[in-house]
Amino acid sequence: MDMITSPGFWTTLLLLGVILLVGIVIKKKALLSNTYVAVGISLLIAVAYFHLVDHYLMDMQGLDYWYLFRK
Amino acid sequence: MGRVTRNKMLAILALGAMIGLLLLPIFVSMPALAGGGGAPAAGGPPPDVAAKADKSEAAKVEKGRDVYFKTEGIVSGAPAPKTADNPQFYPRYNFESRVLLWFANQQHLYYGSFVLAVPIFCMIIEFMGIVSKDKAMAKKYDQLAYDFIKISLTAYSLTAILGGILIFTFLTLYPAFFGYLSSIFRPVMHIYALLFVAESGTIYIYYYGWDRMKEGLLKWIHASMSIVLNVIGTVLMFLANSWIGFMMSPAGVDEQGRYLGNIWHVIHTALWNPLNVHRLLGNMAFGGGVVAAYAAYRFLASKTDEERAHYDWMGYIAMAIGVAFLIPLPFAGYWLMREVYAYRQQMGITLMGGLLAWLFIIQATMIGILFLSSNYYLWQAMGRMRGAEKYQRYIKYMVFVLVCGFLIFITPHTMVMTPAELKAMGGQQHPVLGNYGVMSAKNGGINVIITTTVLSFIWYQRGNKVPVVSWAKFGNIFMGCFFGLAYANIIWLAVYGYYIPANVRVGLSVPQVATTLSCLFFMTALNLVMLKGAKQSGPIEWGKISVRSQYALIMLATAFTWMMGLMGYIRSSVRLFWHVNEIMRDNSPWAYTHTTGFAANMISFNVLFFWLTILFVFFLATLGVKKAPAEAKVPVPGRVPEPATH
Repeated sequence: MDMITSPGFWTTLLLLGVILLVGIVIKKKALLSNTYVAVGISLLIAVAYFHLVDHYLMDMQGLDYWYLFRK
Repeated sequence: MGRVTRNKMLAILALGAMIGLLLLPIFVSMPALAGGGGAPAAGGPPPDVAAKADKSEAAKVEKGRDVYFKTEGIVSGAPAPKTADNPQFYPRYNFESRVLLWFANQQHLYYGSFVLAVPIFCMIIEFMGIVSKDKAMAKKYDQLAYDFIKISLTAYSLTAILGGILIFTFLTLYPAFFGYLSSIFRPVMHIYALLFVAESGTIYIYYYGWDRMKEGLLKWIHASMSIVLNVIGTVLMFLANSWIGFMMSPAGVDEQGRYLGNIWHVIHTALWNPLNVHRLLGNMAFGGGVVAAYAAYRFLASKTDEERAHYDWMGYIAMAIGVAFLIPLPFAGYWLMREVYAYRQQMGITLMGGLLAWLFIIQATMIGILFLSSNYYLWQAMGRMRGAEKYQRYIKYMVFVLVCGFLIFITPHTMVMTPAELKAMGGQQHPVLGNYGVMSAKNGGINVIITTTVLSFIWYQRGNKVPVVSWAKFGNIFMGCFFGLAYANIIWLAVYGYYIPANVRVGLSVPQVATTLSCLFFMTALNLVMLKGAKQSGPIEWGKISVRSQYALIMLATAFTWMMGLMGYIRSSVRLFWHVNEIMRDNSPWAYTHTTGFAANMISFNVLFFWLTILFVFFLATLGVKKAPAEAKVPVPGRVPEPATH
């Protein structure tokens, strides 16, 4: 649970998604047209991004986004 | 000297004169500001003059503490008058004075908002015309900007007349209050008046110089005049906002209402900035709505395909600008409410959880109608594009999502009930309804609605285009996933709010808003990149749109007008029995809050009156049609294929 509530985890996921995307664009662009790859990378980036948005925007207000998960 | 050179000289002189007029009030007021802002005290010489005359009195100068900024300042004005319910303080006709003032104020505001917003549109559209590489499109934009300013010119005269009526209404019915307010704002009152003169001069040169300044450098000077015009207009609005900001959250005075010599404190109250942002966005959305309604009116009255095509296009541009400012408007409103709570918690509770809470339910309904109308218009507008049929089958799902969001958004937390009903139900909380209507759920509802509107707009942009970039498939999938997860995040946060304490829940609206804005900015940008060099499946057939769509535009404008009236009433009545909150009490016989029904009738009357008069303005604009700039004939869109840039 500690891992999921850590912003570092979601930042790593986001970076992983972006690196994968950039890697595919550079090395094997044709893979971008593969539906499974496209869905996988898109979900990875979007899920991580929205979790970071939720976490940091609550944190900026001095509030804990993960309140329920820590209880 | 050649004609063009003479024109250039005249244009530069006109621009110089305008800038001079703009700066004049600052020069004029400099000595007064340098001397401590002059004395706003009603009657008697300015304090700095008095101090020079009598040094011994100056030694005994009285100091006061600012009610908001908590700084000390020299008392430079008389206390706020303590009024009583008699004709000396409240002269009256055999009618409720407040209603008369309400009417005069609202009409002035409607027209003021309109004439402040439309020149901003002109500025944007004229600039688009200048930078457009396509000559036909450049002419169309120029003609459109000209059409816009033509409407606002007649409205401008009406705004000035209504402003005069408003001042007379204040002077005759609320002399004590108006005297106090103008004494506090005396250092900037003349700046306001002179800015008004500068704006009048600029708008007339801008309009009448259109034909003579249509090419080369002169066109740039003409366009730069619109910037001057809008700077003046915006400063005027900010100054007017400072009066209502002072009435709601006074600053720069002590607890007796005595001016403390710092005019910036008086202007820069707790609510000034949120009011400025909210009103600027609101005016733009309202202006867009009114111009769109004008275009719809002209579309419906058109006799030729050419006219229909032009006014269809005009309506679309006006609606797009209006909606572009409507989308961030709820967020600006949220900021304003947050600042209201920060300033006085009780004021916020009165607004959203107490006496005026039911008006917010009506407001939510109106916001929902605005977004539903915008979406409906966009779906109808897809009908004029070949290739947009592929999106038609998804519209029913969007309707479902919008209706769900709307129903959640308008669900009240508590009901207005008779004592018998209250007893029968066993308390204020309804067994079912009581679980709903909390803010995180409502925020979820409105954010779902806005996100769906963004999606509709993106589909509209893609209507007749097929992306040809090599990564188009990935782009589409990414966009789909991003929107899907944005909906999931908004709904998740709305539900999550039920499981955490109120003090944590209150913060959830910020990530919800950020999710919606992420869709707006990132997905619109991604879509534009994807559509670069896109294959067109057909031109946009301007003018070939259903008549129903034009009624949607009229609906949009009417809803804007009604909501503006409603929100103005809510903002004003939150002061309850105060002219100036906690400083000057309203002792008139009308210092009570009207019933919701009366307020709704009054707002409806104001809306009706505004629309009747603006129809007259529209009619006047049609009389001058022949005076449109030469060579600005609009090509017939839809007949001649043209770049579909929208």
